[in-house]
Amino acid sequence: MVLGPLLERMTGADRMVALLAGLVVVLSFFLPLQSGPGGRVVVSVENRTVFTAPLDQPRDFSVEGPLGTTHMQIDAGEVRITDSPCPQKICLGLGALGKKGGLLACVPNRVVVNLAGEAVETDYDLLSR
Amino acid sequence: MTSSVDKSLELEQVRQRVFLALFIALAIAVHAIEFLLPSPLPWFRVGLANILTVTALFLYGAQAAWTVTLTRILVGALLLGTLFSPGFFLSLSGGLLATVLMTGLYGCLPTRIGPVGVSLVGALGHASGQLLMAWLLIIRHPSVWLMLPYFLLFSFISGLLNGLAASYLLEFLLKHPAFAQLKTARAGRLRIKSHTRNPL
Repeated sequence: MVLGPLLERMTGADRMVALLAGLVVVLSFFLPLQSGPGGRVVVSVENRTVFTAPLDQPRDFSVEGPLGTTHMQIDAGEVRITDSPCPQKICLGLGALGKKGGLLACVPNRVVVNLAGEAVETDYDLLSR
Repeated sequence: MTSSVDKSLELEQVRQRVFLALFIALAIAVHAIEFLLPSPLPWFRVGLANILTVTALFLYGAQAAWTVTLTRILVGALLLGTLFSPGFFLSLSGGLLATVLMTGLYGCLPTRIGPVGVSLVGALGHASGQLLMAWLLIIRHPSVWLMLPYFLLFSFISGLLNGLAASYLLEFLLKHPAFAQLKTARAGRLRIKSHTRNPL
């Protein structure tokens, strides 16, 4: 394995640095990087906002898209798509959303669910490298 | 009658320039090849070119490391046609932060730090520098920072592996007579086994 030669070639200072760096990496997983809870659910169909509701009140609702009705549910501070007429049901697999700035989408039915906390700046539509 | 001393000094300087040029050329080639390889996520790269920066740092000092990094990024971007694109600025900010940290660490512990430690710090610096620039320049969205832990974890591993590669490269180079003068000063720190200290 690589570990033998690696340890052999590390000086004492190297090991200290590796230990500290490892600590930084582990700690970075516990940083409160997650954005705060979302405040409002904003649902748009074909880029028009058709529904908005606060995230802290449980409710079921639905919107009409080109393919049919997409059903959604707000429960326990999270929003999820519960049923949709799209063929592959990818939007159902996206699961529940509770964090500000999050996004659920059912592309075939043109439904986009946004969680607005505060205004989010996005200067770029698309980035091509 | 100091001509022989002058000559050997001059020879040493010419050698240094030639080797630095080779390091830069190799770094650019590696940079370009790595750019062409598919990567699982846009900014996940092993950073093999950093092997050459670390090697230059240990052989010739901080200035040489800066020369290798900056020339690689500029010429590499010219070659790949990404000059002044967002990707170029990501690369530049990563390279700058990595080199600041690497030369800083080397400057603080010149006799005790080895290539693995320097490479590791450089890799973490590169990842954070890139992400910082991505956040400042491209996506002003806090969820960019969600990638930080995974970036750091990935660069931790690649930094260790690059450092190991740099260590092997340094051992190999120091066997060459062209580096005979550097060898005695640096072999101890590089953990190079005694039999390689006096070849021939």
